[in-house]
Amino acid sequence: MIALFFAHIVRRPAGWLLMILLLCSTTAAHALLAIALNSADGTISLIDTETYQVTGKATVCKEPHHLMPTPDEKSVVIACAASNQLVFFDPTTGQEQKRIRNISDPYQLGYSPNRKWFVATSLRLDRVDLYDPTDFRLLARLPAPKTPSHMAFDDGSQFVFVTLQDSNEVMAISLGTQKIVWVMPVAATPAGIVMSPDNRYLLVACMGEGVVEVIDWRAQKSVRKVPTATAAHNLQPKGDGRHFFVSNRSVDGSISLLDTQTMTVVEKYDVPGGPDDMMVRADGKELWATARFARKVQVIDLVSKKLKMSIPVGSSPHGVFFLNHAGLR
Amino acid sequence: MSNALLEAFVALQDWLLAHLLEPVLLTLGLGSYLEMAFDGVEFFLCGVLQITAAYLLLRPLEALRPIEVWPDRKAVRVDVLYSLLDRLGIIPLLVFALLAPLFVSVDGWLRFHDIIPPQLEDLFPALEARPLLSFLIYLILLDFAEYWRHRFSHTLRWWWALHAIHHSQRQMTLWTDSRNHLLDDLIGGFWFAVIALLIGVPPGHFIILLIAVKTVENLSHVNARLSFGRLGELLLVSPRYHRWHHAIELPEGRQYRFGCNFAILFPIWDQLFGTQYRGQAMPPSGLSHGPLAESAAQSGFWRQQWEGLRALLATVLPASSPPQTALAHAPTTAVPLPSHAADQQRARHPSETP
Repeated sequence: MIALFFAHIVRRPAGWLLMILLLCSTTAAHALLAIALNSADGTISLIDTETYQVTGKATVCKEPHHLMPTPDEKSVVIACAASNQLVFFDPTTGQEQKRIRNISDPYQLGYSPNRKWFVATSLRLDRVDLYDPTDFRLLARLPAPKTPSHMAFDDGSQFVFVTLQDSNEVMAISLGTQKIVWVMPVAATPAGIVMSPDNRYLLVACMGEGVVEVIDWRAQKSVRKVPTATAAHNLQPKGDGRHFFVSNRSVDGSISLLDTQTMTVVEKYDVPGGPDDMMVRADGKELWATARFARKVQVIDLVSKKLKMSIPVGSSPHGVFFLNHAGLR
Repeated sequence: MSNALLEAFVALQDWLLAHLLEPVLLTLGLGSYLEMAFDGVEFFLCGVLQITAAYLLLRPLEALRPIEVWPDRKAVRVDVLYSLLDRLGIIPLLVFALLAPLFVSVDGWLRFHDIIPPQLEDLFPALEARPLLSFLIYLILLDFAEYWRHRFSHTLRWWWALHAIHHSQRQMTLWTDSRNHLLDDLIGGFWFAVIALLIGVPPGHFIILLIAVKTVENLSHVNARLSFGRLGELLLVSPRYHRWHHAIELPEGRQYRFGCNFAILFPIWDQLFGTQYRGQAMPPSGLSHGPLAESAAQSGFWRQQWEGLRALLATVLPASSPPQTALAHAPTTAVPLPSHAADQQRARHPSETP
């Protein structure tokens, strides 16, 4: 029946036109949607990335905290801390795909580069859980006092590194043995953590000192502290294999651009409202950031280096994602 | 309009956070608490709005249709203080600071051992996508729990020693709702937290739930001749309905020996559990006798707190001395009791003798 339908329409010029239009509209839908996660409302806002208009809203769960794409980017996974769930959304349509229950208090999520591990931190309950990403079976549960927050992996997927926000430490967990292998002190209130593009250093955003601390993770040694601004909180790769954006999550707020070759801040943008999670457009022209304390998603024009747009969303926005993004590592 | 109001609210919230709390928290290395502080400022501002709205709407009612007229309102002042401490977040912050570590420890232990308390949405997944329905169900469940907390606070002698402070006010007004012993607040917070943990109250609902409950509670204590009619009082607690709960003398009947009309929002609980009294009159409020000295009932915040503690100790330590003089109110002269046939009254608490 479907074959007959297609055979019918491809024989006619209008049929071809219809098919082209259909394909274009599908492609456009893929490129247009941004999903912003509103933690306090328990919702997502769907935003048209071309017009910056909020086109829809969907209820997700209780206290969703972070979102991340699956490795194939066919889904966006949302960590529902208070609902004990993972909720999967289609990043092209914003439609819910599935829910996985009994995932205890997930806060921050991460897939290892080799896709063999799915890691969830429980910030409130001082715990890190390792799951099998194929069926979300719990493989190991490790105590992580205090307040395990963000995570990073080494390129070889040997370790996951977790910031311990209230004990001012970074913890390394061996994925092979599923054991804690070391814990080292860092600057006050570490939150965001990423691996440098050359796989040599961990970059840790420390809110208490307003710095990014550079750690030689193999030697477990702090190399330097790069001052950014008050409340340095999170890091996001620019996608050029060299620079990272650092959100400084104070109410007056800013975002710094860190050059990992020189380990210096090379640019800074004023972004009010507590900028937190970020996403860069594939063309490198825009940086989107959720402003936790302003109920907005802020769009920064990276050409003019100015705030371009403030998009009102829900309460305590805590994550934004769109498919048309720059590299994530 | 609503967007402009929300923008103004958020701008003020941000300003307070940026100028008052953020510098202090970051200086003290407490940056982790910024989000909580942000929520705290929201609670504070909602409290300011709620208390302002209650005053603007209910105080004129008290002036226009008073049940009781007093020569002065000095006795009300302490209740205003209680209300400010409660609604602006001081008492809730204390309760939270004391209880949160305990609950996080228990919850952490449970979940570390893969014991996840079931939540309403796990039983009824359809609720996930219906936030309004889910909110209403949580409101009903919490009100049910509050009914029993309130009833126990009258039934258990030691708890009544604390809760009597709330009932000792003879000039009951819109401010009286928050007049509670701090330990009573702490126990109430514990009760609420246990229920919230068991049924999984969404954090986003908390502030709205509290505002809903507190607004009705302000209204139910108001010194104004106001009822919702026979039908209305089946659905929502009215000032007349709740006044019978505060009546200086309780209705006749064994079912009322610990009090009547315990419901906070929905009178259905009293009806279901046999504690409802539908009096038509507006009786005077207060205690005819009880665990608290009359002078303490008329005194300031700290004295009331101290006397409440003494009364509590007197119930749990038989050897300790009771309060100097038990409450023994003379019949009120403010408003004559209406002679409604159904409004037969009796003494307040069976375990206390005048």
